[in-house]
Amino acid sequence: MSPPRYEFLDADMLSRLGSLPVESRTAMVGNVAGRHASPHRGSSVEFAEYRKYVPGDDIRRLDWKAYARSDRYYIKEFEADTNLRAYFVVDGSGSMLFAGKGEAKVAYARRIAASLSYLLVNQGDAAGVSICTEKLHLEVPPSRRPAHLQRIFDTLADLEPGGETGLVGALHQIAEKINQRAFVVILSDLFTDPAALSEALQHLRYRKHDISVFHLMDPQELHFDFERPHRFVDLEDGTALVAEPSLIAEEYQAALSEFMLSVRAKCHDATADYQLVSTDTPLEPLLREFLIHRIPKGK
Amino acid sequence: MLWVLLAAAIPIIVHLLNRRRHRTVKWAAMQFLLKASRESRGKKRLRHLLILTCRALALAALAFAAAQPVVGGFFGLGAGKPDLIVVVLDRSASMESSPANFGHSRREIALMRLKGALKDFSGSRVVMIDSASGQAQEVPSPQVLDELTSTAATDTRADFAKLLGQAADYLLHASGKAEIWVVTDLQAANWHPEDALWETTRAALTTLPQPPRIRILSVAGKDSANQAIRTLSARRAGDTLVLGLEVVRTDEATQPLTLPLSIQLDGATLTDSIAISGQRLQLEKTVPLPPERENGFGWISLPGDGNPRDNVSYFAYGPARPVKSLVVATTGEAATYLGLASAPDGFAGQSAAVSSADQLPELSDLSTLFWAAPLPQGETARDVQQFLERGGQVVFFAPPGDDSSSFLDLSWNPTETSPPEQYWILSQWERGDGLLRDSLDGSPVPADRLRAILRRTPTGDASVLARWDDGETFLARKIVGAGTLWMVATLPDYQWSNLGDADVLLPLCQRAVVAGSKRFETGRLTEVGTSLLSPSASRIDDYPHRDTAEPRFLAGVYRSEDGPLAVNRPTEEDLVGALDPAGLDLLLDGTDHSLFEDNRTSASDALGRPIWQALLVAMLLLLLSEALLCLPKRTPATLATPRPLTRA
Repeated sequence: MSPPRYEFLDADMLSRLGSLPVESRTAMVGNVAGRHASPHRGSSVEFAEYRKYVPGDDIRRLDWKAYARSDRYYIKEFEADTNLRAYFVVDGSGSMLFAGKGEAKVAYARRIAASLSYLLVNQGDAAGVSICTEKLHLEVPPSRRPAHLQRIFDTLADLEPGGETGLVGALHQIAEKINQRAFVVILSDLFTDPAALSEALQHLRYRKHDISVFHLMDPQELHFDFERPHRFVDLEDGTALVAEPSLIAEEYQAALSEFMLSVRAKCHDATADYQLVSTDTPLEPLLREFLIHRIPKGK
Repeated sequence: MLWVLLAAAIPIIVHLLNRRRHRTVKWAAMQFLLKASRESRGKKRLRHLLILTCRALALAALAFAAAQPVVGGFFGLGAGKPDLIVVVLDRSASMESSPANFGHSRREIALMRLKGALKDFSGSRVVMIDSASGQAQEVPSPQVLDELTSTAATDTRADFAKLLGQAADYLLHASGKAEIWVVTDLQAANWHPEDALWETTRAALTTLPQPPRIRILSVAGKDSANQAIRTLSARRAGDTLVLGLEVVRTDEATQPLTLPLSIQLDGATLTDSIAISGQRLQLEKTVPLPPERENGFGWISLPGDGNPRDNVSYFAYGPARPVKSLVVATTGEAATYLGLASAPDGFAGQSAAVSSADQLPELSDLSTLFWAAPLPQGETARDVQQFLERGGQVVFFAPPGDDSSSFLDLSWNPTETSPPEQYWILSQWERGDGLLRDSLDGSPVPADRLRAILRRTPTGDASVLARWDDGETFLARKIVGAGTLWMVATLPDYQWSNLGDADVLLPLCQRAVVAGSKRFETGRLTEVGTSLLSPSASRIDDYPHRDTAEPRFLAGVYRSEDGPLAVNRPTEEDLVGALDPAGLDLLLDGTDHSLFEDNRTSASDALGRPIWQALLVAMLLLLLSEALLCLPKRTPATLATPRPLTRA
């Protein structure tokens, strides 16, 4: 019996997480009414502010009680609610294939992207996927239709990482292509130049997108706990190196720490929601905390 | 040592094998790995090397400790425990000398050192070959080493070429790792560097299946003041006994010394004193003999000094034997003078007979033959040669006539006559050796009074001891067997020379007679180790001693079938001179040997001390250092620690 095609989906987990909304940290610009705040004033029940009446305003929105108290015309403005469009940018480089002590980083990315897509579509938001490699940039545009989910899952299921990363280019493309504010979720080990990554994130920020970064790392990459000499072969370009891990562990940790600090700082500068994820971490608590943390205070 | 190297190599081999047995892993975070690899140089590699070194040294120390090594001057930097130790012990008389400011003899010091050293080699079998018996003997315990009869003091000589050969023979049938420990005072006379046997000994040692290491312990140190006395001869002269003595100072002191001398003869004690100014003194002492005593014995001794064993010398005498000489001369005058000089009136026991060359009597009881006739030929020549080989003395004088016959490749040149109104004068003669040597008190023979107008110089292979003023030979000597042949280039005849005057002829003839009569005395004097003494002979002298060695290795007076026999220590034991390290290297060339000259002043000093405890401590320290080096460095908290949902 062949394994189920969407083995990265955990129905029980999704049902448990279904009670939690996927919130946006910034105002969204959607094309239908939804649960997310819009930069535009609209017709929701949530009061936003008063402003002076100007000719042309809908007189139905005049606050007569305010006029009675102040003898001035005020227009009562309410928050506009709209839907959220989410882009899951999944790194398809060879490095995502690494599976040391946890599961492969790409598998973990599949589960995050599929689960969050499901939750978003289920709450009426749109979700799309963008797979990026050095040579290929495969994109499934966001859609609210439940049937669209299958396209997303198929794309994720068919993902076969290889070659060097094209993440930075893909992010620039996405920033240029998406005109309206969107929720951009990056799923990658971020093994690229931090400066170039920073530029891409700043590009997205400039376009006022809500950015979340899941920095996926295998526990073995984090701890480098090898004992005997190993021949390390690069998953992306095939470069080989024979090394005594005990001899270079300290330098490795230092280089890794420097990279991690740099990446986190770049994300911070771009107001991105940065999460370092070890691939041996259970997914459900991770997503639960992620979702809870995104719920605005007081809501 | 091989085990130590192997142990030290284990961590290195493991390290190299580990490097070869690397696994291949596909890796994503290559950029950090490459950077780490570039930066992992210098201190890190040094630390790793230090760890490897600590491990190697710790294992080496453990292996070395397991061998229970001993260090010290005798053992060098470290000696492992051999399966078998063959101790070659020098028990010669010279080993009884004491180093200056030391209360023990060299042999006793060596035994104390050996006891201490062997205690640290408790697992090794110990076999001893002593220089006196030459027999290999198992040593049950090092503690009884100085109580064994086979380590007691003796008056013997040592022959190390032979002893080491015996050690090699023993090892030929032994198994396991062996060492030879030689304990000696390196007296050159005991090592016989010129002995051809060394070639065989070296070959025997180097061709053993497991060539042994040879450690030589020389108990050195400055010699205490010491004088040795020796009896050279004991000659009966009428009612007296003439003792030829030699006193040797074996230390390096040069100031004049007066020594009391004690002579014990047949129970009576005589005392005298002698003055010695150089290193060696030869003298004669005449002591009266008890009346009508056929034979007897005694000893002569010096006061105690650095070597008690050479302070006494034994002598024995037998019945008076007439000293007979035979004169063979063609002229009456020469025969008369030679008869008078060889047996002057008043010299008890000396007699001389005159004979012709054709009718020689039996020569066996003669001491000296004076021959002033043509050289013997045919059967006579054979008899004379036999007489010489048995220790007789033959003095040939230039015969009248011109015969050119030869005897033992020696012959006479034709008769020469000095120029008119001139004569040949004896101008050069050997004053330390030969018939014209100076007397014991140093006064010279007045040989320069000799004048000659006729002469016949000898020719042939003989050493020249005196020359005329024109350089031609007057006196020549040739050793034949145990005897000596002399050739004198003129006649005691006034037609030839004034040799008939007693100035030269008397000492010349008397010395020949005394030398010839010694062959009858040697039966009463012998040396330890010669075969003259039967194993069952009992010691009869009353010299106070505390010797525990077997009698056959001790000097003294022993009862033999022919009467008392005086046995003294070998002559070479009084010879000063030590073998130098270079000479020793030559003798033991090709063998693995080392020399330790022990100059220490404390008898309790050990030759070495075990260091296995120190090695174990060193191993522990090395392992501790290795553990400290292996401790991971405290790293500052970094982002490398995964913190899910850490937010910027």
